[in-house]
Amino acid sequence: MIFRKGRVLRATFGCNPNSSSLGVDVTFLLFGAIFASALALMLGALLRRPRTP
Amino acid sequence: MKLEVVRARAERFGGIVEVARPRALLHVDREMMRELGQPHSPLWDSAAPDDAPLVAPTEVHVVLSRRCAAGCTGCYVDATPDGAALSLDEARRILDELAAMGVFHVALGGGEALELDYLFEVAAHARAVGITPNLTTSGLGLGAREAERCRVFGQINVSVDGVGEGYRRARGFDGFAHAERALRLLRAVKEEVGVNCVVSRSSFDGLTDVARLVRRLRLNELELLRFKPVGRGARLGEELTPDQARRIYPLARRLMLRHRIRVKLDCSFAPMVFWHRPSARAAAFWGVQGCVAGDVLAAVAPEGHLTGCSFAGPPEADARVPGAARAAWSEGFASFRSFVRSAPEPCASCEYLRLCRGGCRAVAEAHGAFSAPDPGCPRVQEWTARTAGRGQVAGGGSFALPVVRG
Repeated sequence: MIFRKGRVLRATFGCNPNSSSLGVDVTFLLFGAIFASALALMLGALLRRPRTP
Repeated sequence: MKLEVVRARAERFGGIVEVARPRALLHVDREMMRELGQPHSPLWDSAAPDDAPLVAPTEVHVVLSRRCAAGCTGCYVDATPDGAALSLDEARRILDELAAMGVFHVALGGGEALELDYLFEVAAHARAVGITPNLTTSGLGLGAREAERCRVFGQINVSVDGVGEGYRRARGFDGFAHAERALRLLRAVKEEVGVNCVVSRSSFDGLTDVARLVRRLRLNELELLRFKPVGRGARLGEELTPDQARRIYPLARRLMLRHRIRVKLDCSFAPMVFWHRPSARAAAFWGVQGCVAGDVLAAVAPEGHLTGCSFAGPPEADARVPGAARAAWSEGFASFRSFVRSAPEPCASCEYLRLCRGGCRAVAEAHGAFSAPDPGCPRVQEWTARTAGRGQVAGGGSFALPVVRG
């Protein structure tokens, strides 16, 4: 399933209640590019996954 | 586990999908939109330009009023007890228009939005039209009954710029006990409750105390907001020192790891983050950007002005006029959107330019030139020192920021 072509390009978690806090989520930035790539694949797979009855 | 798409909208690159659990906005390519069964969009018939803005903001900050009894010394909207406010009907009409544009979230604020007796009606209307309402409040006057009604919101953050005496020093009145009580009441009814902390020259050293508070009350995030010299804050001289600007990102990481809390920095801190040279690929994936005004973000003032952000930018339209916001979005916001294409040095040669976008336009404007590089950026300060020989940067103590207008 994860080898299909569609990709997740960006992920922002949570909601922003502020005038200007759309910026740096230190929590995630800490983990670097490899983690981001792996998460993109996982999110893509979870998006495509068929609904379970 | 399956991520349920609750809403989606087409973009030139593909689309943005909103999932509810975990709450997230995911940018996906065209192929993924098709795989998810989304209808074909004419936006996909031609190649996507790299620098095209989104077809609508994902989030709009709606400044419901400039009305607030607190009188904080650094209030960026210059709020007063009888300041201007959007009426309930105006707020509803604006939300209708934003929903039609495909906006996902609104950040409701003020002034003190809780002083408006129709705040919860505005929030309920946002929900009814498919937008998630979020709230920033000082917490003053919030009781158990109001806290219960706050379930309608997504994320709620209470402004806490310091703990105890630190709060009084930062905001000019002794309101910490009220803010802490509000946090406890809100946390008792929902999980998405956090703290906003304005990081200024004098509040910087108290950030550890605020992080401890977030941990102790089991809040879901600490948002650090850069002090901007606008509104009543223009004359305070509270911008970070060059040394503090270099230390804020490592400090945020330390607070996150030591106190095991989620820490966010606002978009105006982007230059201070990129100076530490994080992975550009990771930053792009996590949506780490500098000025997102006129792209991801827009703002509506209590007078109806639609702007790129609530701190800066010319009015692009009267958002109360039906159709005006949508028309302005497709053609306006040139002052924000043109920065990357016409960036001066040292931004022009910076490898993070496309992400950082020159830092904060509000701070640049406060120092005299809207389209100049952010004067609080460490790279800009080093470049200025090298080219003008105006000061030492390495020690962090002798570099002088330009004087703020006021």
